[in-house]
Amino acid sequence: MAARFIYIHLGLLIMALLMTSACTERIDIELDSTYQRLVVEAAVTSDSVRHHVLLSVTSDYFSNQPAGQLENAVVELSFEDETMQLMESTEIPGRYESPIAFSGVPGTTYTLTISQIDVDEDGVTERYQASSTMPGGSEIESVELRHYSTPLVSGHSVILFAYNPVDRPDWFGFKLIKNSDVLTDTLTKYSVFSDELFDTGYFPGLPVGFLSDDNPREALYSGDTLTLEMDCIEEAYYNFVTEAQLEIAGSYPLFSGPPANVVSNIDNGAQGYFAAYSILRFTVIVE
Amino acid sequence: MLRISFALILCFFLISLESFGKSTVSGHVRDAATGEALIAANVIILELGTGTSANEYGFYALSIEPGSYTLIFSYVGYATISRTIVLEDDMVLDMELRESLLELEEVSISSQRNNSNITQLEMGSTSLPIQSIRKIPALLGEIDVIKAIQLLPGVQVTSEGSSGFSVRGGGRDQNLILLDESVVYNASHLMGLFSIFNNDAIKDVKLYKGDIPAHSGGRLASLLDIRMKEGNSKQFAARGGIGTISSRLTLEGPIVHDKVSFLLSGRRTYADLFLLFSKDENLRDTRLYFYDLNGKVNYRINDNNRIYLSGYSGKDTYANKEFAGMVFGNRTLTLRWNHIFNNNLFSNFTLLNSHYFYDLGTPEGSEQFFNWNSALDDYGFKADFTFFPRPEHKVRFGASGTFHVIKPGEVSAISTGGIRQRLELTHNHSLENGVYLSGESKLGEKLALRYGLRYSMFHNVGPTTIYHYDEEFQLVDSSYYTQGDFFHFYHGLEPRIAANFLLGEQQSVKASYSRTRQYLQLASNSTAGTPLEVWFPASPNIEPQLSDQVSVGYFRNFLDHKLQSSVELYYKKMNNAIDFRDHAQLLLNPRMDGEIRVGESTSFGAELYVKYETGAFSGWISYTLSRTMREIPDINGGKAYPAPYDKPHDVALVLSYVIIPRISVAANWIYSTGIPYTVPSGRYEIMGNIIPLYTGRNKYRFPDYHRLDLSVTIKGKRRTGRRWRGEWNLTAYNAYARKNIWALNFIQDESFPDLTYAEMTYLFSIVPAITYNFIF
Repeated sequence: MAARFIYIHLGLLIMALLMTSACTERIDIELDSTYQRLVVEAAVTSDSVRHHVLLSVTSDYFSNQPAGQLENAVVELSFEDETMQLMESTEIPGRYESPIAFSGVPGTTYTLTISQIDVDEDGVTERYQASSTMPGGSEIESVELRHYSTPLVSGHSVILFAYNPVDRPDWFGFKLIKNSDVLTDTLTKYSVFSDELFDTGYFPGLPVGFLSDDNPREALYSGDTLTLEMDCIEEAYYNFVTEAQLEIAGSYPLFSGPPANVVSNIDNGAQGYFAAYSILRFTVIVE
Repeated sequence: MLRISFALILCFFLISLESFGKSTVSGHVRDAATGEALIAANVIILELGTGTSANEYGFYALSIEPGSYTLIFSYVGYATISRTIVLEDDMVLDMELRESLLELEEVSISSQRNNSNITQLEMGSTSLPIQSIRKIPALLGEIDVIKAIQLLPGVQVTSEGSSGFSVRGGGRDQNLILLDESVVYNASHLMGLFSIFNNDAIKDVKLYKGDIPAHSGGRLASLLDIRMKEGNSKQFAARGGIGTISSRLTLEGPIVHDKVSFLLSGRRTYADLFLLFSKDENLRDTRLYFYDLNGKVNYRINDNNRIYLSGYSGKDTYANKEFAGMVFGNRTLTLRWNHIFNNNLFSNFTLLNSHYFYDLGTPEGSEQFFNWNSALDDYGFKADFTFFPRPEHKVRFGASGTFHVIKPGEVSAISTGGIRQRLELTHNHSLENGVYLSGESKLGEKLALRYGLRYSMFHNVGPTTIYHYDEEFQLVDSSYYTQGDFFHFYHGLEPRIAANFLLGEQQSVKASYSRTRQYLQLASNSTAGTPLEVWFPASPNIEPQLSDQVSVGYFRNFLDHKLQSSVELYYKKMNNAIDFRDHAQLLLNPRMDGEIRVGESTSFGAELYVKYETGAFSGWISYTLSRTMREIPDINGGKAYPAPYDKPHDVALVLSYVIIPRISVAANWIYSTGIPYTVPSGRYEIMGNIIPLYTGRNKYRFPDYHRLDLSVTIKGKRRTGRRWRGEWNLTAYNAYARKNIWALNFIQDESFPDLTYAEMTYLFSIVPAITYNFIF
């Protein structure tokens, strides 16, 4: 009798759980149109490279076309007493590159100016500007890989040991490169961290990434190399990344506030971000 | 305002003089079978055509000229009793009423034609006896007080399936939820799908939407006053049920007959008990349940003194022994002493404690250990006096004080390197006090007034750190206050006025004005809410929220009061209304007051309520036409936007029908305009991801919401001499499987990254459930 009751109950419970579990479904809705805005994706880093700026424009949400690239802009980068004009790429529309390779210096403020463009197509050209000061002062001590297996996932956790300035809050971004494959190749995979709450000057084993055994691209095997790139970023860029990741992830009544625009550091209503950050790297070989 | 206060006090003094030369008949009105106090039972003096109603403890008092009178005692669903008395000196007359039709005990039947909705002063309030709530079809068969409240006019569910509710455009933290006078800070189980109130332990539920009595304060929008049963003082009894997700059992009875009684009630879900049979060790180690435990003891010392001790403890646990877990719960404790000073002065003294906590993290000893916890404690007292100088007048006065201790968050972590790190956000201490004076007077045959004044005070108390911000909300400085520092003070008068003008026995016109202040608020900008939310107090950076509400209503009964109807109009303006900046960080933020944006909120609407009751058929229709808008300078570019719970049209149809005494059916149908939502107009691409671009908050609405719930209750045959009575209850929630949107998101296609689409998430299709209930 007891067993029968348990079976009946289990059946009802499973049926109830199946029917109460959340389901998703595509729906058609009509959205408003909006005017075109400038979108900037730009960075100056401590790497010695030809730095570049990507310019594009916004489109209606369901336009379902690749982003329109913005050509023929005048793009200038200035820092200290120097100003350089970035050259428009002949191969990639909307890409503007510095004429020479150079490395950014922590503590320096870089200003990006974009002009001679009429993004909103009102017949009047606009000028946009953004500034970013490159943080620095951190040092990676070591990186460890530890394998975990939990009821939900199994894989390698990337553990960071590093020193960071103790006299101020710092913000960091982390990228992972397996062999030569940049695993964190989209904004959603770029992880950021703030030491505002635990600012002891040392990361005594901070988990900064997880590589799942179930994902062939991420799974690590003996002999693989894994490079951790640690970016020392500004607070505003940290906020930009976290806000953008929230908006991309979507919103749910239990956990989310109302959707809102991601705050940009570019003036005049442009979207995107211009960031200056210093880069530290550490490579480990999987045993 | 001071002149008004003086005039009111003078008025009360003059009223109190009226009791001289009168004699008082007083007593308690109780259920004959259980000894439970009958809250708001009517006591009418036939010869004078006037009377009173029993208070929350069943006490009534009538001070009248000596003489012979006929007193009529009545209560909805109970047989009316009349008693002839010869009143010379003060006398005590306790009365016990019997339920009118035992076979149909679950059906509220008025043996007298009750027109209290016409004559009572209150407007914007609804009392729901637990018997009515039990008839409403419920999700997974879990009868739920708050889900029943959500079917009333002016009350809107904040999110599909949620226990949160919005009253007349207010936020879900603007409802004062009291369980035996103790504040319940989070009334949700299982992420909001169920409320913490076990219906077997509840006696009475009353919601005040506008005309909140002066003896209560601290929230802008509503007072939900839930009273637990006292425990059967006549005989031992048990009630319980075995349901699809939980079972419950309530025991009650006399410890000393008619003197000391107890109630003990428990409920627990048991999905995880079946996990113990799993072959998977991880599943065997998983705990997933919630429970509620209600207890109450009351001791009638003598006719003039009675003590009640009641408490609640409930907890949700989702945990795996080896991996991680989360626990959260409430605890309330109320100690009350009813003391009757003399026959026309009733008093109640209360000591209170409320506790809410959550705790989550990984198990102690795990390699990457972390623990995050938060708690809120209230320690309070109330002293409440009711003076009955004449049947036409009633005066209530008293004081209350609550010390709030909020621990917003504490995090401990042990890193992989074995170093322990700890963060504890500054605790908030505050003292919230109130004194009040209110009265009810009948001026002639037609006009009745209720007038009250509450003076509320709020102190911030050290130790704590207060941060200072510039106009751009950037941190500029901070101040530290030591322990015991009363470093900031808010206070203000809160007048409450109501009038009722009778247009005969069948109709009346009512009007009310009330001002309320709120000193504590919830740090949440989500609509459904999570257990991880914390409350935070008014402070030098956050002024208390203030609401002024006016309402008028027309009440009309038909068919000898069997059909009761009302139309109420209201307008409410809330100053210092709180919202949060875009992408506010509300968890573990030591400077949360920097995330707050303040402005105005306006709500107005019309509420139609039609209720019908006969022996077999009962139900109601409610329709609310309303708008709620917020205007906050730093949000939505300073332009007004619909509040998150703004639903212009909201309809609830609640019906039940007893086909034969053993079989009854019930149905709800709910319809409302979809909630406002922010959707993108444009998009842009950064690092391979498409980011939405918005052009206004809450400009779009979800598709309209509607749902039908059905239930059938089949009672077992009653056998003479057998106390056991059982019934089967079958419910179908969302009977026609409407896919109501719970969340709407805009997704970038993984295979074709330039493509985007809208995706809705819905929680429920049809949800059947079966419950067996019993009583003996």
